[in-house]
Amino acid sequence: MGAFLIRRLFYGVLVLLGVVSLVFVLFTILPGDPARMVLGQRADINSVEAIRKELGLDRPPLVQYAHFLNDVSPLSLHQVSKREHLLFLDPAKYGHTIRLLHWNDYTLVLKTPFLRRSYQNKREVTAILAEAFPMTLLLASVSILFALVFGVLIGLLAAVYDNKFLNKLILILTVFGMSLPSFFAAILMAWIFAYLLADFTHLSMFGSLFTVDDYGRGEVLSLQNLILPAITLGIRPLAIIVELTRTSLLDAMSQDYIRTAYAKGLSRIRVIGVHALRNAMNPVITAVSGWFASLMAGAVFVEYVFDWKGIGVVIVDALEKYDLPLIMGSVLLIAVILILINIFVDILYGILDPRVRIT
Amino acid sequence: MATSTLLQVDDLQVSFLGETGWNPAVQQVSFTLEPGKTLGFVGESGSGKSVTSLALMNLLPQRQARIQAAQLLFDGRSLQQLSGSAWSQLRGADMAMIFQEPMTSLNPVYSCGYQVAEAIRAHGHIGRKAARERVLQLFSKVQLPRVKEMYNAYPHQLSGGQKQRVMIAMAISCNPSLLIADEPTTALDVTVQRGILDLLKDLQSETGMGMLFISHDLAVVAAMADHIAVMQKGWVVEQGTAEAIMRNPQHPYTQSLLACRPPHDVRLKRLPVVSEFLAGKWPGGEAQVRKELSLSAAEREAGHQEMYAQAPLLSVNNLKVWFPIKKTLFSRSAPMVKAVDGVSFQVYPGETVGLVGESGCGKTSLGRALLRLNEPEDGEIDFEGNKLILLPDRQMRAFRKHIQIVFQDPYSSLNPRMSVGEAIKEPMTVHRLHGNESGRRQKVLELLQQVGLDAAHYHRYPHEFSGGQRQRICIARALAVEPRLIVCDESVSALDVSVQAQVLNLLNSLKKALGLTFIFISHDLAVVRFMSDRILVMKDGKIEETGEADSLYHLPQKPYTKKLIAAIPGGYNV
Repeated sequence: MGAFLIRRLFYGVLVLLGVVSLVFVLFTILPGDPARMVLGQRADINSVEAIRKELGLDRPPLVQYAHFLNDVSPLSLHQVSKREHLLFLDPAKYGHTIRLLHWNDYTLVLKTPFLRRSYQNKREVTAILAEAFPMTLLLASVSILFALVFGVLIGLLAAVYDNKFLNKLILILTVFGMSLPSFFAAILMAWIFAYLLADFTHLSMFGSLFTVDDYGRGEVLSLQNLILPAITLGIRPLAIIVELTRTSLLDAMSQDYIRTAYAKGLSRIRVIGVHALRNAMNPVITAVSGWFASLMAGAVFVEYVFDWKGIGVVIVDALEKYDLPLIMGSVLLIAVILILINIFVDILYGILDPRVRIT
Repeated sequence: MATSTLLQVDDLQVSFLGETGWNPAVQQVSFTLEPGKTLGFVGESGSGKSVTSLALMNLLPQRQARIQAAQLLFDGRSLQQLSGSAWSQLRGADMAMIFQEPMTSLNPVYSCGYQVAEAIRAHGHIGRKAARERVLQLFSKVQLPRVKEMYNAYPHQLSGGQKQRVMIAMAISCNPSLLIADEPTTALDVTVQRGILDLLKDLQSETGMGMLFISHDLAVVAAMADHIAVMQKGWVVEQGTAEAIMRNPQHPYTQSLLACRPPHDVRLKRLPVVSEFLAGKWPGGEAQVRKELSLSAAEREAGHQEMYAQAPLLSVNNLKVWFPIKKTLFSRSAPMVKAVDGVSFQVYPGETVGLVGESGCGKTSLGRALLRLNEPEDGEIDFEGNKLILLPDRQMRAFRKHIQIVFQDPYSSLNPRMSVGEAIKEPMTVHRLHGNESGRRQKVLELLQQVGLDAAHYHRYPHEFSGGQRQRICIARALAVEPRLIVCDESVSALDVSVQAQVLNLLNSLKKALGLTFIFISHDLAVVRFMSDRILVMKDGKIEETGEADSLYHLPQKPYTKKLIAAIPGGYNV
């Protein structure tokens, strides 16, 4: 298990390196100049050059790349004496560091990864992500939980009462759920539940987790704003989980060990709940983890429609403005999350099915 | 003491819902079973013997199956119109069942101990700890080794025989008065089978339970049962005491089941098959078969002298096939399993060499290594002067047309999405044989006829065929490239004895007609001996004993070979 974790984390680091390199290459070869984006229409050549220098964009791409890697890596090399040096260990940038090795003017330090500052507003990328990410995490978790609970429940019922009418109904609902584009679903949900039925639901059409109170009490927690976006996001995974649970449960129930379980004299509920369901869960977990990971990457349309201040909105803004540090930071964060989810799911498979248990 | 009747079945009828209505699967089956006695059901696949037993346990799918009977009494209680919860109380407690497939009959995600404990706890108010104690007792009763480890082990960590022992422990956990064993040893090696059969007998004499024992192999049933019912196509065609059935079978079907297993004493030219008996070709029964079909030792001797005067077709020298136990990322010197560990032998043109041994002895790895389907670690394979190990991959692929293999499982070795004709044609296309497409198609039709199938089967798909027919398709596919040598890897082990006889006859007649050479791999020494000129006995990757088939069978030298022979059902003890 320990060896497995170390190996997977090592691969994870390789993946992150690949992600950084790919984003960097794309950013270098694509047309577009962040300096002009920052200055807008008033740009003249001198101030553009000044901004380029300030952002470090005047250096050769390879130097920029190496410099960025050095900044992101928790283990990095720095210069301590000259302020104007590229690798100067500036506490304003890197915060608290632990010096490991020291020779001449250079030092090897351990630090928290430095993701630089946004080109747009000079805020630290780490701070922007720390603000947006919990919102996305909350939204994704709630919607996947909604999809999982209801999906498995409906799939279970469909498999147990394997009758024609119920199956047709579920088929129609799942096809509808899977083919409904999320931006349209979002608008539809907002219109129906927060406009037409607003008198009953008391939900607003948009709003983030914290809203500014009309009576001057500052920002207040508005959990009800979570309901509509979470359900909207959960519709498609729900449809898929229902179908997967149903088919893999039907498959499990036709296996020999189910007959054995009945022959032992177990009740139908126990046979299905204990013996069939656990065997049926692996494909469902694969689907859930995939969906959860993709929701974490930000549900751009849904966040936009409901004005939910999550990571999806941050990424779209950053892409528009060629905001390399912010793009890099978001992509890295998402990659880290995907890697962690994958490792977690591999362990979970083993817990549910001893045949694939990691030793 | 007057024996009461444990089970009384009168006029049992089971039908399944098909597309055209209710199709009867079991008709007018009547029998009684007394406590402590064993009733054996014997018949081919689809004869209704399993359906009968599942109907007694009410384990058939309720919507698709209809069970009717004039009387269905178990321990004096009628089994008809019992409620679901009454069945749950009965099943596992008073009547228990062991199934054919130990590999799939245990739930893979729960430990063996848990699954047995679950059966105990379903029928009695007993604590977790007490249930565990009881399971450990049961495990030692069914002679599982290291019971505490077995308790926590998962089914995939056990061998087939051990899994079947866990199933037996589960079945006897609540001291049932009726045990139904549905082909409990069919998927197992002969030696393991013997162990399981002995265990079941011991348990029965200890607990006095009644047993229904079901098998396609009359010899196995005869070893277990007091009474035997022979089933064919849903009907019981003959019923009587085991001794009467075995000594004096009346119905031609029973006679054929008895005769289609290779006999122990004489050597037959070919095996009689069921259809011949039903057509009345053998009115004299087994005695007539022996008289007309036996092959004398002198005839064999003459053939052998000629055969062994030739240069060998295949010679294998010090062949080694090793597999790494566990793949690791950083170290290259992982521990290895020596599946085949320094094996040398020759095969002469026109010979059949039998390769026999228990599961895990390395016989399958050896067979595959000859085609380099497993890459050998070391050694030489010489096929008519070609050093196979040294051939580059490309040439090896081309060379495979000289050596073909027929696998054990006819269900999984055919691609379900490829029509039978396509499957047989594919190897010809790969090796560019028979000129063009139409030439190849012509050849496929020829092959289909050769293996006893119909030209009309060309466009059908594998699922439309029975196990025996599928194995014929696999044989036709192997023949498609006109090989010199065919490796039959447990090719008849998954088949009923009656179908087995047909396939064995087919292999022998093809061998004669096409001048083939066989390496025949099986765990069943009786079958291997019937097929082979010489036999190699394998154990732990090495050749334990080798010799001329008949003399090895009758005068085995090594204790391991003796053990294999002693395990043959209905065989004599050495």
